[in-house]
Amino acid sequence: MTILTILLLACITFGTRYLFLEGRLPVRMGSNLKLFLSYSGPAVLTAITMPILFVHKNQLDTALDNPYLWGALAAIAAAYKTANIYWTVGLGMLVFVGVSSQIL
Amino acid sequence: MNALNNGIKVSVRKGVVDMLPLSLAVLPWGILFGSIAVQRGFSWIEAQMFSAIIFGGAVQIVTVELIADNASLLTVLFTAFVISSRHFLYGLSLREKLSSKPLRWRLGLGFLLTDELFALSGHRRAFQGKLRLIYGLAAGGSFYLAWNLWTFIGIVAGASLPDLTELGLDFAIAATFIALVVPEIKTLPTLAAVITAAVFSLIFSLWEFELGLILAALLAMCAGFTVQNLRRAA
Repeated sequence: MTILTILLLACITFGTRYLFLEGRLPVRMGSNLKLFLSYSGPAVLTAITMPILFVHKNQLDTALDNPYLWGALAAIAAAYKTANIYWTVGLGMLVFVGVSSQIL
Repeated sequence: MNALNNGIKVSVRKGVVDMLPLSLAVLPWGILFGSIAVQRGFSWIEAQMFSAIIFGGAVQIVTVELIADNASLLTVLFTAFVISSRHFLYGLSLREKLSSKPLRWRLGLGFLLTDELFALSGHRRAFQGKLRLIYGLAAGGSFYLAWNLWTFIGIVAGASLPDLTELGLDFAIAATFIALVVPEIKTLPTLAAVITAAVFSLIFSLWEFELGLILAALLAMCAGFTVQNLRRAA
C-alpha cells in the first residue's frame, strides 16, 4: 500500500516536471507568452531566496545581526563585480560564517 | 575524437561543480527526511524509494508526515500536486529549448528538473548542443546522487545526529541564486520582476501560504511583462 502511494507520488512529481517538455502537447508559444516566461528565472530564484534570508522561525528577521543579511550583501556585491558563481558563493559564505560566529 | 572526449569531461566537471554548493546545502534536509521517515515507521527501502523515484524535498517531507498520520490518499496526492505545481512553470519555460530534443534527453532531464537544475538552466543557450545537454545531465544527476546519499545517511544514522537544518547551510542556496540572478538584472523590467518577487515572497512566506512561491513568481513575471510593454508603448 505504501509502495503504491510512493509510485503515485512519483507520477505527480515527474508528470508536473515533464508535461510541458512534451512536444506533442498542443501549446502555442506566442510572443506574449515567451516574453512573460523570460522573467521566470529571476522571478522564481528571487522568490526562493528572500524567505531564506529574511524569514526565520516564521518571523521577519531584518535585525542588523542577521548573518544572512550581511552574507547576502557581500554576495550581491561580488555577483555585481565579478558575475562569477564561485566568487559570489565563496565571498558570501565567508561573510555569512564570519558574522554568524561573531568573528566579523 | 579526443577533443570531443575532452569537451565531455569539461562539461561533466563544470555541471557537477556548479551544482556542488546546492548539493551540499541540501544535506541537512536529506538527512532530516531519512530520519523522519524511519522514525515514522517506514522501512528503509520505502524511505530510500521516496528519494530515488519521487525526488522532491518539500513533497517528500510533507507527504511522509501525512502518510504516517493516516491522511487519506486523496489528501496526500493533492498536497503533493500543490507543492509540485511550480514544476509546470519550469517545464513551460524550458519548452522551447527541450521539446524538440530526443525522448531520452527529455525523460532524463525532465526527471531531474528540480528547483536546483532549473536555477542552472537560465543561460540563453542552455541545453543547446550535446555538451550543454551533458552539462545539464551532470548537474542534475550529481544533485540526484547527493540527495539520495544524504537520505541514506539520515536513514542509517539520523537518530544519532543533531538537527543540522539550523546550521545555516541554506545560505549556500541563497548565495548561489544571488550569483545567478544579479548579473541578469540589466533592464528595468527584470528589476521590476525581481523587486516584486522579493516583496511578495516575503509576505506569502510569513502567511505560511503553500502556493506562495509560485504566486510570487507569477506576480513578478506579470510585473516584468507589464513594465516591458509600457516601455514599448512609450
